[in-house]
Amino acid sequence: MTASTVTKSNGGRNTRWWQRNEKPPERDNNAIIGQRKSTPYLFTLPAIILVAALLGFPVLYGIGQSLFRRPSLGLPQEWVGLENYAAMFSSDAFWFSLNRTAIFVFGSLIVGTSLGLFFAFALFRVVGKLRFLRSVTVAPYIVSNVAAAVMFRILLNGQFGVVNQVIEFFGIDGPSWLANPNLAMVTVVFTQVWTDLPLTILLLLGGLMTIDRTHLDAALVDGATGWTRARHITIPLLAPQLLISTIWLSYSTLTGLGVVLALTGGGPLKATQTMAMEMYTVAFRNLEFNQALAIATFILVLNAVITLGYVAVGRRYEYEQ
Amino acid sequence: MIERPRPDEPALAGATAKAVRAVAGRPGEPKETVGNRAKRIVRNILVWIPLILLVAWTVAPFLVTLSVSFKNRAQVFAQPGIIPSNPTFDAYAEVLASESFTTSFVNSLIVGVGTTALTILIGVPAAYAFARFRFRGRHLLLLFTLLPRLVPSIGLMVPIYRLAVAAGLLDKRITLIIVYTAMLLPLGVWLMVGFFQQIPREIEEAASVDGASLWGRLRHIVAPLAAPAMITIGVLAFREAWNEFTLVLVLTNTPGKRTLPFELYLMQGIEGIANFPGEAAFTILTILPFILVYTRIEKYVVAGLVTGSGK
Repeated sequence: MTASTVTKSNGGRNTRWWQRNEKPPERDNNAIIGQRKSTPYLFTLPAIILVAALLGFPVLYGIGQSLFRRPSLGLPQEWVGLENYAAMFSSDAFWFSLNRTAIFVFGSLIVGTSLGLFFAFALFRVVGKLRFLRSVTVAPYIVSNVAAAVMFRILLNGQFGVVNQVIEFFGIDGPSWLANPNLAMVTVVFTQVWTDLPLTILLLLGGLMTIDRTHLDAALVDGATGWTRARHITIPLLAPQLLISTIWLSYSTLTGLGVVLALTGGGPLKATQTMAMEMYTVAFRNLEFNQALAIATFILVLNAVITLGYVAVGRRYEYEQ
Repeated sequence: MIERPRPDEPALAGATAKAVRAVAGRPGEPKETVGNRAKRIVRNILVWIPLILLVAWTVAPFLVTLSVSFKNRAQVFAQPGIIPSNPTFDAYAEVLASESFTTSFVNSLIVGVGTTALTILIGVPAAYAFARFRFRGRHLLLLFTLLPRLVPSIGLMVPIYRLAVAAGLLDKRITLIIVYTAMLLPLGVWLMVGFFQQIPREIEEAASVDGASLWGRLRHIVAPLAAPAMITIGVLAFREAWNEFTLVLVLTNTPGKRTLPFELYLMQGIEGIANFPGEAAFTILTILPFILVYTRIEKYVVAGLVTGSGK
């Protein structure tokens, strides 16, 4: 019986042989009987090769290629060092797209996190009671970016869209969402958030469920209720989940191309020309591949820096608690 | 004696799993006692309004699309109500008759099934080896397999396009299958390693003592126990192949090889006046295969979704 109790208490993993009542095994604890030395390599090699060849190598190849330039079509490319990056940093289009990206990422973070928290709190009140709410929450995940774009185009259409019908019901003229530069950005943000929200909600809900009730009860005894309690107790305790969802949302918006391309194609008047769109335009419309790779590399680096920034902030926040 | 992973539930870890199971219908806490009736009504409204908003937020885009798909082009503007007054299947007939839909549907199906099969075929043995075998360099190799998960597809578009051009693999379905498989593998291996580690080694050892070979153990013990995790990966892989847009955009260029998202994207641009019923019907038909099996695959979708974010 001792063996089973030990196993249970740590979830059936990491049980050391000396903690069991059985005879200690003589062989390596991690190995399996009758295994040839080459077997693990045969098992893992296809996966490693595929991942290395199609994910690892292309990224390095892309970074390398960003240091070359083709003087004109048909000529062999030549080494230009960091010239593509110099050209990138001196181009107005790049800085404009950086500005658009910042708005897109921050907008999506604010909208996504607020809605995520709001819906997670709402679901937490009925946890375990309404199964169909999970189905509903997760549904956007099965929709492609292009299909989401079509759906929002129909939802927000200036003439027959439901959203404008509701607005006009209150006597206000509904705007044309995709023709107005500012509203186009709002539309893109909401569409992107719609596709990304299922995960945010599930993450935050998971966080809510791990919060020790005693913290909340203690706060209640001290007279903290409602918003005060949420602001000072619940949300700080959610910090780890908020960190993950922030990292994920900003990764998805910073590097995401599908929604923007399918919804606005960067327009109107380049209002939604994010860096990902700029990279795509430079590569596949202007056919300046090496220049585009400089932008892609910049996006990768920026993404890594921002993620590390979040982690650093998150860690400091944890220490303060 | 030993706590086994429930075979009917996909591999999930920690708090999020708890949340997922709880939302899925585990009995919650007992209801708190409530004072007077007015208070209870206010409380109920406070609970229900956000939930109604959640449903509205998620479902509205689906509903309006479904509504428009049952109208014709004139009705879209003339009768903007949600429920079509005289529904028509014209848009569906039009889409189903168009070659762009049928061809891309078949392509998506081939690429989806191919990606799913290849991901499981390559990912499962790798994950099993990482979880069970001790061999030189396994930590490093596991890191090499998992780390590329962080590479966004925006960083791959141009390099993979140029490599495909150089290798003469542009505009081939097999290229899509291989590329998608590579993109799915880090996540798939990650998910399966966690799952295999939960399967008690003692079961396999017992079989081994009884004379089962490695293949026999994999076939009769590991595979049945790991089925939920494999279904999760399968659903993830199929969804990715079915919905992926940015890479198929650059890796294919002839009508015969495009997948559904690419054709839907083109449909928005080709005609001068947007064909809203057509686009709506195309969209609905694209997500229909998922909706038909949604209640059955939903928990696997959730499992994959949550695992995918866990790092």
